[in-house]
Amino acid sequence: MRRGRVAAGLRHAVLGAWVLVVLFPVFWMVLTSFKDAGDWVSWPTRWAPFVDFEPTLLNYRQIFYIGGTTQSGELRREAAEQAYVIWKGMADSVVIVTIASVASLLLGSALAYAISRFRTGGRNYPYTILTIRMLPPIVVAIPMLIYYTSIPELFANLGGARVEFFDTYSGLILLYIATTLPYVIWMMLAFIDEVPRELEHAARLMGAGRLSTIGKVVFPLVASGMTVTLLFVFILNWSEFLLALTLSQPKVLTLPVLLNKFQSAVEGRLYGPQAAIGTVVTIPVVILGFLIQKHLVKGFSFGMIRR
Amino acid sequence: MAPTSTPKDSELRVTLRQWLERESVFRVLPLLPVQLLILSLLAVPFLLTIYISLLRWRITRGFWTAAPWGGVTNFVEALTDEDFLYAVLRTFVFAGFAVAFELLIGFGLALLTYREFRGRRVYLTVFLIPMMIIPVVVGYDFSMLLVDTGPLNSVLSVLTGQDVRIRWMSDYRTAQVAVVLADIWQWTPLTFLIFVSGLSALPPEPIKAARVMGATRGQVFRHVQLPLLKPVIVIAVVIRAMEALKIFDMPMLLTQGGPGNATETLSIFLWRNAWVFNKISYAAAASLLVLVLFSGVIFLSIWLLKRERAQLEEVRP
Repeated sequence: MRRGRVAAGLRHAVLGAWVLVVLFPVFWMVLTSFKDAGDWVSWPTRWAPFVDFEPTLLNYRQIFYIGGTTQSGELRREAAEQAYVIWKGMADSVVIVTIASVASLLLGSALAYAISRFRTGGRNYPYTILTIRMLPPIVVAIPMLIYYTSIPELFANLGGARVEFFDTYSGLILLYIATTLPYVIWMMLAFIDEVPRELEHAARLMGAGRLSTIGKVVFPLVASGMTVTLLFVFILNWSEFLLALTLSQPKVLTLPVLLNKFQSAVEGRLYGPQAAIGTVVTIPVVILGFLIQKHLVKGFSFGMIRR
Repeated sequence: MAPTSTPKDSELRVTLRQWLERESVFRVLPLLPVQLLILSLLAVPFLLTIYISLLRWRITRGFWTAAPWGGVTNFVEALTDEDFLYAVLRTFVFAGFAVAFELLIGFGLALLTYREFRGRRVYLTVFLIPMMIIPVVVGYDFSMLLVDTGPLNSVLSVLTGQDVRIRWMSDYRTAQVAVVLADIWQWTPLTFLIFVSGLSALPPEPIKAARVMGATRGQVFRHVQLPLLKPVIVIAVVIRAMEALKIFDMPMLLTQGGPGNATETLSIFLWRNAWVFNKISYAAAASLLVLVLFSGVIFLSIWLLKRERAQLEEVRP
């Protein structure tokens, strides 16, 4: 009995230590987001709010700045004031990520159904699709840069309209659809495979066509799976950095790119506003992540590990 | 199926509906948009890249139709470019270290938590947090932790009793360690999660049987649980290795590949050449070489995934 208790204590000690490792960077980011300029990197480190330093909402006010005059006493931060406003980045991210994720879900689910029931594309097709995901994005980005910048030159006056993909919503959306399709197809394959074919046979025997069978039998059973897949793909697109960095900017600016913009600044980095942006960007993803916690393994393992 | 000479709107809808109800439609239709997207978005640019890689084009020198022919000079240059070869080596070393630690820590934590005990849910929840924070934010967060008057040095000072002022980002070794550490911090949750679900999905019968026959816990682990877990382990290795080899966000946010090029991974190297130096033709040639290199890795990965997946299907009831 005593040995059991020692073992349990040891277990909690090890796991507790890892909890500290996990929470420390998160704690620090949130803490910094409530600090004013003088407290960011001061030595000795200021740990405790209200004791070591006076917490402030200045950083959040700065990134959610709407207009009008700022509060007094912030002169030294005036120059960077506009640069940190987050609204534009947020709008771009939400529009691009939502459209791309929904489109990817619809295209991928339909194809997953066809693959599950008819082996469309052949036995190896899902694996062929998987190679898209395995390519390093930079190897895709260089051809895309050449391609996107060539399109307006090559089709200069095609029907009078100028076709632009570089630094546009549509350019990024198309790419995000293509790069998340492997995940959608594999996750939805796992969900659709679980729907018994007998149910569909029964519906078909009763005279229902393929479309009605899908709509009335299959869809209700995989609807929750589709939601999980959508959220998963949403998180992936929301986090995407490399393609957005290389193929958009300055007109289209997603949140990860916005956060990076000030990282390379040589003259004194502004940790506070960055920490505030980091916190704001992270919150929705963590919420979505915990909503689909049970299915994360399925997502990341392409549905290969199913529980 | 032929509609009447001037079909009304409703009639058209009915014929469309009938058409969609047919068996063959769903067999082929979903494939078309996906194939179209892949062809136009990946295949065409790829061919274009091969052509560009044979030119001598910088994006600052007008459009590529006017660029001079270079033949294979770009490829020769890349293969003799020390920076490129070191970037390849560095990427594999980084990925090797990161994945090894992620597997070990993830597996250890999973062994401690896969069975029910008080407080298990809390641990499971907290452990997943790093994975849900987006990589750019993690990179930024670590860059803040590692400032020389930052909290990490502060904690180290308290622990050692001395004034620790490691300049993490200025020394090439500590900068490299920092990049790997950030990757480990972010992705250990994934290996942990995979192993927890793998361990708790193991069929209980063989384990019970072995215990009844007098095997110790260690023996059960080595001869029963580990072999049963092999497919899951292989899948975890492949998935993590594939992602770790792409590493870009962390070094970009932490060090921009520096100091010097101490943390310049393949992705950073290619990015620098194309977007900072504008040497598009050279970057195109180098990225084609990377593609050749990776196609080997990808081929192996797919083969492994296929094999292990088949084994998982067998075990599954």
